[in-house]
Parts: sequence; C-alpha cells; structure tokens
Amino acid sequence: MLSIFDGLRDLSTWNVIIRLIAAALLGTLIGLERSAKNRTAGFRTHILVCLGGAIAAVTGLYIYMVMELPADVSRISGQVITGLGFIGAGAIIVTKKMSIKGLTTAAGLWATGIVGLAIGSGFYEGGILGTALILLTQTVMAKFGSKMIKHDPQYKLEVRYEQKHALDQVLRDCKDNRLAIVNLHIQNKTGPEDPDYEAVIELRGNMRADQLIAHIKTMEGILDAYVV
Amino acid sequence: MFAYLKEFNFVSVLFRLLLAMLGGGIMGFGRSKKARSAGFRTYMLISIGAALSVLLTLYYYAMLHGPWQEALARVGEKFDASRLGAAVITGIGFLGAGTIIKSAHQQVNGLTTATGMFATVCIGIAAGCGFYECAIPAIVIAALVLNPMSPLEVEFKRKLRNISMTVEFESIEDIDKINNVIKEHEAKVYDIDIERFEKEKNKFPSAIFILQMSKNNRSHSAMLSSIAELPCVRSVHELIA
Repeated sequence: MLSIFDGLRDLSTWNVIIRLIAAALLGTLIGLERSAKNRTAGFRTHILVCLGGAIAAVTGLYIYMVMELPADVSRISGQVITGLGFIGAGAIIVTKKMSIKGLTTAAGLWATGIVGLAIGSGFYEGGILGTALILLTQTVMAKFGSKMIKHDPQYKLEVRYEQKHALDQVLRDCKDNRLAIVNLHIQNKTGPEDPDYEAVIELRGNMRADQLIAHIKTMEGILDAYVV
Repeated sequence: MFAYLKEFNFVSVLFRLLLAMLGGGIMGFGRSKKARSAGFRTYMLISIGAALSVLLTLYYYAMLHGPWQEALARVGEKFDASRLGAAVITGIGFLGAGTIIKSAHQQVNGLTTATGMFATVCIGIAAGCGFYECAIPAIVIAALVLNPMSPLEVEFKRKLRNISMTVEFESIEDIDKINNVIKEHEAKVYDIDIERFEKEKNKFPSAIFILQMSKNNRSHSAMLSSIAELPCVRSVHELIA
C-alpha cells in the first residue's frame, strides 16, 4: 500500500475529520457528473451516501479499536452495502412503457457508498481508485459505449386490419425483411359493423420503421399502421 | 508477475479493479446490444463496487495483522473475511428486484437483467479477491457465450413447440370454440388456467393456455391470428418468458 497514507490510518480525531472531508469530496466529484446530466440523484444524494458510508465504516472501526469491544470491524460496512441495495431499488423507476429508468444511477449510488466505506476505513487507495474508475465509467465509457454498441432497434408496430390473411402477410413480410418478431398481441375491436382487429407486433431488426409502415399501408385488408 | 498480483498492494488493487470493470463491461455488452435497460455502464459500476468491497475486506485483514495488532491482541479476532462479499450479494439482490417488472399480461420482464447483475458482482468479488483463476475464465466464458447467443434466442423461441398465451373472451362457454381452433391447428392443450371476471367491472374472463404445437405446423402467429378472428375473442397475447 502507498506509504504516504500511513500516517492517516489510525483513528485520531484529525484522521477521522480528514476521512469525512475526503468522503464528502469524492461524493461531490461523482455527484457533480450525475447532476450535470440532471439525473434523479444529484450531487447532494451522492455526498450523503459517500459520507454516510464513511461514518458507518469509521464507527465500525471505533467500536473495535478504541472502545475495544468484541465486534467484527466489517459488519457495519456490510450492512451499508445491503442497505444501499434497498435504496437503489427505490431509485429505479418503471415507466408507463414498461421500461426501466434509473438503474445506472442506482448502481452508481451503490458503488459510491462503497467508496465511502473504503475512505472511512482509511483505505484511501481503494476509495480514490474506485472514484476514478466510477468517473471513467460514467463519462468516457458512456460515450465510447454508445458509439461502439449499435442497437438493433426494437419497436412496436400497431396494425389495424380486417382479415386474418392481412396480418399473416404482414408477419411474413417482417420475417422476409429479417425482422425478429419479439411479441404479438391481437385485440378484437370489432363493433356492431365491420370487422376490425388491432395487432401490436414487437419487432427487432435493422429496418427503418417508416419504410416498413409505408409498405404495409399499401397492402390489402390493412386499415391503418403506425409505430407506437 | 502473477505472484505479485496475488499480494495485496497498490498495483494489484488497481489491477483487480480494472479486471472487475472489464468483466462488468463484457457482461453488460451483450445486454446493451439487446437494448435492455441496464447498459454496460451499470454492470461496470456494480462490478467495481463488488471488487472494492472485497478489497476493503483484504485491507481490514492486512491492517488487523499489521498496524492494528495491539487491538487485535487485546480484544481478540472477531473478523469475518467473507462478510462484505456476502453483503454485496444481498445488496445486489435488492437492486435486481427493482428491475423486475410484472407486465399487464402476467409476463415477467427484467429477470435476465437481474440475474446478469448477480453474476456480474460474483465476477467482481472473485476479481477483488485476486482469484484470477476463476475471474478470468468467467469473463472469457461470458464474452463467448452470452453475447452471440442473443440474436439466436428470439429465433429459437419462435420455433419452440411449447407456447403459452393469454386469451380474453366474452364468456366462459367460448372456451370450447377456442379449443376447436387449437385442434384445427393440430396443437395439444396441456393446461388451461381460467380467470373469471365480472362484466360490470368491464373486464372480460380470460384464460392462459399452455399448448404444444404439432411438428409440421408450428407457426405461433398463424394460430394467434386464427384465434383472434373468432368473434367471441377480445384479445390474444403470447406469453414469452
């Protein structure tokens, strides 16, 4: 381990204060990046999590080393890791479209808490390296990732049709265009008069939605088609 | 070199954190490609966190048997080296639970994300311990197995003979008509799970059918669209695990 931190590893009052300040500082660094992106958990949340982690860890050490009570120095830290999992789960939002928002924030919050634990325990190397890697992930990797990963676009196609064979034709067309049918949902909207069905087809593939729709609309028996 | 990285020092801490980050990135990569909620950043973050937790354990141990020896001698050894790693697994379980959604059609989404997160922190824990013999093969396996699988998976599921679907219909008697359509498609019914709803509440009765398609006629969509064509059927939805 680095010897420059050796003087900071015991539990003197100054060292405790230094750890708390360091934790707040690292929390601010991670949090500023998040709040610059205007996420649910801004820099104050991250400071609180990081500072809280440091307080918990340093207290765990105090019980054992200064009060000299029989205890496992890592037990309180361990509970912080579990507890932050709970908080993180609360930060995850399920949107109306049944997708998830806030998972990266939750994961970042959780990792920030562990940085706080490391700093509070006097494991400055781990805390600082951890912060650096978290920031690297949140900034560089975010850009690098979106460039490197080409999503196969996934979309929901809504088709209204009169006859069964019209839908069969649409599905055959999707397959011919190498679009994977992820899910299919058909609803019967027939009123007292003409037949009218509505199919929601979840697709994944490399075709542009507007081209597909333009093509489908020309087909016989199709009332309407659009992307949800 | 390998022996040096097995020790607890600044270089090995950095190496283990980077290895965990790489492992998380690879685990997340396949998921991001599928346009899933947890991008590979999420996986990297939790993997870093997991490795850092275990490194913290190693730090405690090194300190207790180094500068803090006096306290150890007076109070006794109460330290449990596996506690933080265990807490990581519990904590990620909660985080994963947050990603699981039960959709309106009694379908569960996000389970693979949650299990992927769980597997990722396990790699992070192995990497943080310096258990490279486990972490590195695991990352290689993840890179080989998880990523190319995904495009195949949808195709594979489409051709499965077993299918489950939810059907909403006008009244319970209509089940016979639906059964007839299923028979026309030469499919076998394994199980029907009926849910009654009162009409006043504006909900239709529905049933979950679990079937096996015949060998020659296994187009899921053809059967779904034939069932939808029955006048008594309000909606049809295939359940995909």
